[in-house]
Amino acid sequence: MDISLFVQLLISGILIGGIYALASIGLTLIFGVMKIVNFAHGEFLMVAMYVTFWLFHYFAFDPYLSILVVMPLLFIIGIVTYQLFIRKTIGAPVLTQIFVTLGLSIVIQNLVLLFWSADFRTVSLSYASTPIVFGPYASLSIGEILVNPPRLIAFVLAISLSLVFYLFLKYSYTGKVIRATSQDRSAALLMGINIEKFYRLTFAIGILLVGIAGALMMPIYTVHPFVGFDFVLVMFVVVVLGGMGSIVGAMIGGIFIGIVEIFSSFLIGPDSKQAIYFLVFIAVLVIRPSGLFGLKGEEELEHIETID
Amino acid sequence: MKRLIDTLQSKQAIVLLIVFLTLGIAPLFIKNDFYLDGFILIFLWGAFASAWNILSGYAGMVSLGHNAFFGIGAYTSTLLFLHYGLTPWLGMFVGGLLAACVGLALGVVCFRLRSHYFALATLAFGEVSHIVAMTWRSLTEGAEGLALPIQPSLYNFSFSGKLPYVYMGLFLFLTLIAVSYAIEHSRLGYYLTAFRENEDAARALGVKTGRVRLLAMAISSFASAIIGTFYAQYFVYIDPSSVIRIQISIQVALFAIVGGLGTVLGPAIGAIIFIPITILLRAKLGTAIPGLHMVIYGAILILVLLYMPKGIYGMLKQRGFKIFEKPRKNLAPLRSGIEVNSGQ
Repeated sequence: MDISLFVQLLISGILIGGIYALASIGLTLIFGVMKIVNFAHGEFLMVAMYVTFWLFHYFAFDPYLSILVVMPLLFIIGIVTYQLFIRKTIGAPVLTQIFVTLGLSIVIQNLVLLFWSADFRTVSLSYASTPIVFGPYASLSIGEILVNPPRLIAFVLAISLSLVFYLFLKYSYTGKVIRATSQDRSAALLMGINIEKFYRLTFAIGILLVGIAGALMMPIYTVHPFVGFDFVLVMFVVVVLGGMGSIVGAMIGGIFIGIVEIFSSFLIGPDSKQAIYFLVFIAVLVIRPSGLFGLKGEEELEHIETID
Repeated sequence: MKRLIDTLQSKQAIVLLIVFLTLGIAPLFIKNDFYLDGFILIFLWGAFASAWNILSGYAGMVSLGHNAFFGIGAYTSTLLFLHYGLTPWLGMFVGGLLAACVGLALGVVCFRLRSHYFALATLAFGEVSHIVAMTWRSLTEGAEGLALPIQPSLYNFSFSGKLPYVYMGLFLFLTLIAVSYAIEHSRLGYYLTAFRENEDAARALGVKTGRVRLLAMAISSFASAIIGTFYAQYFVYIDPSSVIRIQISIQVALFAIVGGLGTVLGPAIGAIIFIPITILLRAKLGTAIPGLHMVIYGAILILVLLYMPKGIYGMLKQRGFKIFEKPRKNLAPLRSGIEVNSGQ
């Protein structure tokens, strides 16, 4: 493989990975704080993609502008979902958590199928159809590098928003409370934190983040009622690789999986990319189940204390 | 044995016996293939849900990868028959043993993982199996699938009418119920429950939690593969999306959860209730309103988990309907103690 091709693939991988990172942050956040794996996470991504699509279709809304609609909408959907379904599963047996969110995912998928049919839908942007050319950089012996504008825009926005969110978690009061709750629920409770309120907020923020990712993905991918399932599998891999509950882990894991995906589809073939990242997934679970940045021992069998 | 006889003399057991006899005898008088098909599906999925329940219900290790074992069973016997002419009666056990070995390997690798991670690992395993079946075309023919020739004979495990399949299915169904009964009333069952309720306490009491879970995994995956072969023989056509897709695992979980998780009869009850509903919904709405029956399924799954977590069987039990239940008097203080400790 010559160096130009290598760089081209690497850049494509990183660009995709940025979106995976943003989509996975919500999932890892929800797990970190509530110890719930949200199997319906991909469905919220799918819903956001549809919202973006319909806004474009009926009102010629620019997909990047529709983020402003998607954010509050998904936030509200997140709060409603939390109140109706998730609240009751906190501290419940893992089986209940898994199948309530799986049930939710089945319901959302099929409601979408019912109302909007199984058609594949795309958004194509007139201003973004010609690839941007970088290079050639003769001194590095790299030829022309082509980048699709939607991918570049999505990457830049995804990474900036991830960083903004990271800083929010790190320095704002709300962020500190969320982190405190995730580190030690009992202590947070004793410090007078209204855990219930912050659970709701965390869940809604997680859904909002995946919603933004959905809007950013709409100009790149096709949307159909079952698209969420494919992406949630990728997100699981990213989150486990980075360490469940770790934001930095999700960002690095996302980019890593993006690179793995591009290289394996190029070298082995597009059919096998899923198999490859599942093998990565199983390997991580076998070798270091806590992931790159997870707390060690998090994944081992032990009982979580519940809060009432 | 005495206990079994005692149980069988109770009033509820008579109800149960009547239900089973109806299931057993009714097919003889039904000439309509549509209804016979319904019976076969009830037995097939009821048995599979029981097999899933052994690992996920009793031991509490949520598996989302049982579709892989089902697929291993279906593909092994079919390939052995197509390439080597081996009778599916033997191929079935080859598939079962293969699935049990794969299950054990998966178990050794994944059993130290906490339940969320275990569920994710099995999900990944199921997906990888699906991809392998899709891409290993030289063996599996990929998405085109494999068709079994229709040559009815006992050796071929192929029959012209539906009745033999009904009774094969009934046999599997009852066997799995019997196995569940045997597990629940053996050391293994108590060990598994002890592990599920509180692993530390179970280990402290000397339960080899790893070993008993591996055993449960082996039984569960073996049975799933046997049922996979039965599926292949009945439908005479298999492809990755009909025998290895993740929805299969979710469906059997749904039956077991709605019927009653970790109980002898729960998964069977789930199938008896759900299969007729499915058939009706598909027949009435399937083409007109796609997805509606899945919406209903998902909604029922959520509602049962949130408001009736012990399932239909658990509800019946609370109202005094007890079958196959050992008197729990002596165990009551111990059990509540465990529950307090685990904080649930």
